[in-house]
Amino acid sequence: MLLDVMGMAAPAPLPGLAILLLCVVAGVGTYMLLPSGAEAPFRKIGGVLVAAAGLIVAALLVRAADQSAGGGVYFWIFSAIGLTAAVRVVTHPRPVYSALYFVLTVFATAGLFVLEWAQFMAAALVIIYAGAILVTYVFVIMLAAQAQTGGDEKPLAGLAEYDIKSREPLLATAVGFATLAVLLLLIFDTGGHLVSQASSSAPAANAGSTQALGTYIFTNQLVSLELSGLILTISMVGAIMIARRRVASEDGVFEPTVESVTAPGTPDDDNPHSIPVYGTTNPRQKSFPEH
Amino acid sequence: MDQFALEQYLAVGAAMFVIGLIGFMTRRNLIVMFLCTELMFQGVAINLIAFGRYHDNLAGQAFVIFVLVIAAAEASLALGLVILLFRRRHSLDADAWRDMKG
Repeated sequence: MLLDVMGMAAPAPLPGLAILLLCVVAGVGTYMLLPSGAEAPFRKIGGVLVAAAGLIVAALLVRAADQSAGGGVYFWIFSAIGLTAAVRVVTHPRPVYSALYFVLTVFATAGLFVLEWAQFMAAALVIIYAGAILVTYVFVIMLAAQAQTGGDEKPLAGLAEYDIKSREPLLATAVGFATLAVLLLLIFDTGGHLVSQASSSAPAANAGSTQALGTYIFTNQLVSLELSGLILTISMVGAIMIARRRVASEDGVFEPTVESVTAPGTPDDDNPHSIPVYGTTNPRQKSFPEH
Repeated sequence: MDQFALEQYLAVGAAMFVIGLIGFMTRRNLIVMFLCTELMFQGVAINLIAFGRYHDNLAGQAFVIFVLVIAAAEASLALGLVILLFRRRHSLDADAWRDMKG
C-alpha cells in the first residue's frame, strides 16, 4: 500500500515544522533537566516537557505507520524504556544511578535487537555491556568515590561540585537538538516511507541465527575478526600497563608508592622473585616477611 | 509477514545518539562522560542492525560485533586512564585538567 504508485508518494508521517517545534520543546526540557543545582520542581517541569515531546512524536508515528510494521507494540515499549533511561543516564547527578540506568538502556536496546532479528547480538550486548563493561564502570565509580559527608537529608548531599553543576548546558542542548532535528528531517521528510520492500515475505529460516552470523563472519570478515582480537589483546596490555603505574598525588594526600612500601634495597624491578616488604621503611627492621 | 519500518528504528537510534552527545558535552564527571559515549555506541548499533534487517543481510550485525569490540577496548583503556588521573588530582572533574588545553 506504500509507494505502490511511484508518482504519488505517501505523505511524510512527521511534517518538518512539527519536528522543529518538538525538538525545541524537548531541548528546553532537557536543559531544565540537566543537573544545575536547581530546585526539584524546576527539573520536574523539564521532565514533563521531554516526556510530552516524546509522546507526541510517538503518537504521530503510530498514526502514520500501519500497526503491524516494525514489531508493533513491543517496539514502542522498548524504545520508550530505552530513551527514558538514556535521559536519566545523562541527567542523574549520581554516577552510580547513571550506571544503573545505563543497564536499563542496554536491556531495552537488546529488546530492540530481538525485534530486528538479531538475537545473537542481543545476547552479546547484554553479556558484554551489562555483564562486563558495566561492572568495570561500577568498580571505577566505587574506587573513585568521594568521601560522603554525613547523613544529610538533602537530595544532593555528599555529591561533588562537578556532579551538581553541568558544563554549558544551554549550548550543548542547542547543538544536540539541532543535530536531532536535522537527522529526523532527513529520516522522515524524504517524501516516502522507508518500509522494506524485499523482506515483506516471511523471514528466512536462519534469520538472526548464530550459525548464519558465524558463517558470514568467518567467511567474509575473517581478517577483520582477527584484527579485532588483536585490538582487544593490545588494549588489555595497555590497560594493565596504565593501571599498574604509580603516580604521585599533587595535593599532598598520601598515596603509597613503590619507594614507600618497599624496604630500601628491595629491588623494585620487574623480577618476580624479588620480595616486596610492606609497612616498613626502616632498614634495621626485618626486611623480609615472616612465615 | 510483517513489514519492517526502518524509519522508526532510525529515529530511536538518532535520539539515543543525541542524548549521549548532550551528556558527553554537559557532564563534567569523567566516568559519566565515558558512559555517555557508550550511549552513542548504542544508538549507532541500533542503526546498523536496522539497516542490516532492512537490506536482509548480515553485514550490519557483523559490524555491530566490531563496534562492541572497540567499545570494550575503549572502556578498559579509558577507565585505566581515569583511575590514573584520579590518583593524581583526587577529582573526577574534567575541568581539573583544563591546563592541558593547548
